[in-house]
Amino acid sequence: MNFWFSIFRQTGRNLRQTWPTLLMTCLTVSLSVLIFSFFYLIYLNMLSAGDKASHQLRLVVYLEEEPSPALQEQLRRKISQFDQVQEIKFISKAEAFNRFADQLGDNRDVLTDMPADFLPASIEVTPLKTLRGLSQIQLFSEYLATLPGSQKVQYGQKWVERFYSFTQLLSIVVLLSGFLLILTATFMVASTIRLTILGRQEELELLKLVGATNNYIRTPFLLEGILLGLTGSLMGLASLYALFHWTTRHLSGTGFLDLFTFTFFPPGVLFTIICLSIILCTAGSYTSMQKFLRI
Amino acid sequence: MTEATASSRTAMIEMIKVTKRYPPNVTALDDISVSIASGEMFFLIGRSGAGKTTLLKLLCNMERPSNGLIEVAGMNIHQVTGNKLAKLRQKVGVAYQDFRLLTDRTVAENIAISMEVSYKQPQIIRNRVRSLLAQLQLEDKHDILTGDLSRGEQQRVALARAVANSPTLILVDEPTGNLDAISTAQVMELLIRSHNSGATIIIATHDESIYRHSTHRIMEIKNGRIASLSSGDGQGWPNVVGARDGAGATGGSGDRI
Repeated sequence: MNFWFSIFRQTGRNLRQTWPTLLMTCLTVSLSVLIFSFFYLIYLNMLSAGDKASHQLRLVVYLEEEPSPALQEQLRRKISQFDQVQEIKFISKAEAFNRFADQLGDNRDVLTDMPADFLPASIEVTPLKTLRGLSQIQLFSEYLATLPGSQKVQYGQKWVERFYSFTQLLSIVVLLSGFLLILTATFMVASTIRLTILGRQEELELLKLVGATNNYIRTPFLLEGILLGLTGSLMGLASLYALFHWTTRHLSGTGFLDLFTFTFFPPGVLFTIICLSIILCTAGSYTSMQKFLRI
Repeated sequence: MTEATASSRTAMIEMIKVTKRYPPNVTALDDISVSIASGEMFFLIGRSGAGKTTLLKLLCNMERPSNGLIEVAGMNIHQVTGNKLAKLRQKVGVAYQDFRLLTDRTVAENIAISMEVSYKQPQIIRNRVRSLLAQLQLEDKHDILTGDLSRGEQQRVALARAVANSPTLILVDEPTGNLDAISTAQVMELLIRSHNSGATIIIATHDESIYRHSTHRIMEIKNGRIASLSSGDGQGWPNVVGARDGAGATGGSGDRI
């Protein structure tokens, strides 16, 4: 009989003896993984939505007068002085009128009596993708407002501000739930293994006396930690997937969720969460062994 | 037994000026020096509290001596640690006075433990367990929890576990304390078989019936000191043909006897 066969048999025996406690620990670990991964999934999706939205971010500078080609060139240089931009587009009053008419579609006849130059000329500035932070966008907007002939700068500040606050709040929730995962996984597993060790003190003492090596005694406890981490994380992620599946099936096409495509974790993230859970549970088991296993 | 015969065989156990004190000031063993040869059967007698169990505990490294040197198979057992100690313990079978059985495990599982830790094949373990249970007439108890057995049955299971891994040294503490005459004979038969196959056996007992007719060495302990050490005639247990012991060893308290 080789070492690993004996170890697996010993672990199986331990599991049979202490399964109610282990089951409770496993459920606690899976709940922690579920809470953490739930918020992390929302966070990732929000980031992805934010990323998509920022691709379409445009700052519109409304001008008092329609600039001459020479002035357009000067303004273009002035804008580029602040930062490199992806695109600068001048919209004449007539172009703005035509766009508005196109947007009205069948109702464009409401514009029949309006003069073709009633809308202001504007500059549409598309910043580089590197310009991501809210404060950077605000600074750029303030700079554009100082351009000569500028009336007003618009980029949907309210929406952008709310979006950034929400993602910041989410990142705090993700950090907190991550902390919760670390605490529960480590302490619950440590506590379970401690109870197991204390409950089996007599047997461990006997094993030592009949010549069991330290590895023979310790490895089953480490395996229990690994198993708790693995099953706990798999159960947590499976529950999250079920929840995700249900949500996308039943709530898609309604309001908020329709704003962006909701996607599940890529395999790399799933693997990382499972590994993290295993490492934490094994660490909990190891801590208890170091503290309570006297061999 | 002479000094010449003692030195002609390898010593399994060497105890030199061993003392064991427990706090605050209880001397359990005092200045014990004895040498036990490999393959010898050795009786340790004395009243309850004389120090027999303490001596066995020192030999299996459950306790550390306050003074003196103890060597088992040439190794100072109190300096051996880790895997070396584990390997050494696999070679030492101990039947404890309080049995130390796992009462929530079956008889077979309890006996198998000592073989599992040395990674014996499951088939070999199963066969050995059945054979031992047959020798002790406990075949029908194979799947019974040891907690449900009588004291006498538990005692026999503890002994079976001690000899299961075919150790080279067997320490037995009061092996017949709860047994009737027939069971006592079965237990002694099992020990003698192990002895015949080369194991060194030390039996601590105050049951006169098991050592009265013995031709092996008998050491009496009184108040933690060696009171007497008979030389033995080397002819083995009277009822067993082919008992091969009788190897010499020295022993004594302070001055060796």
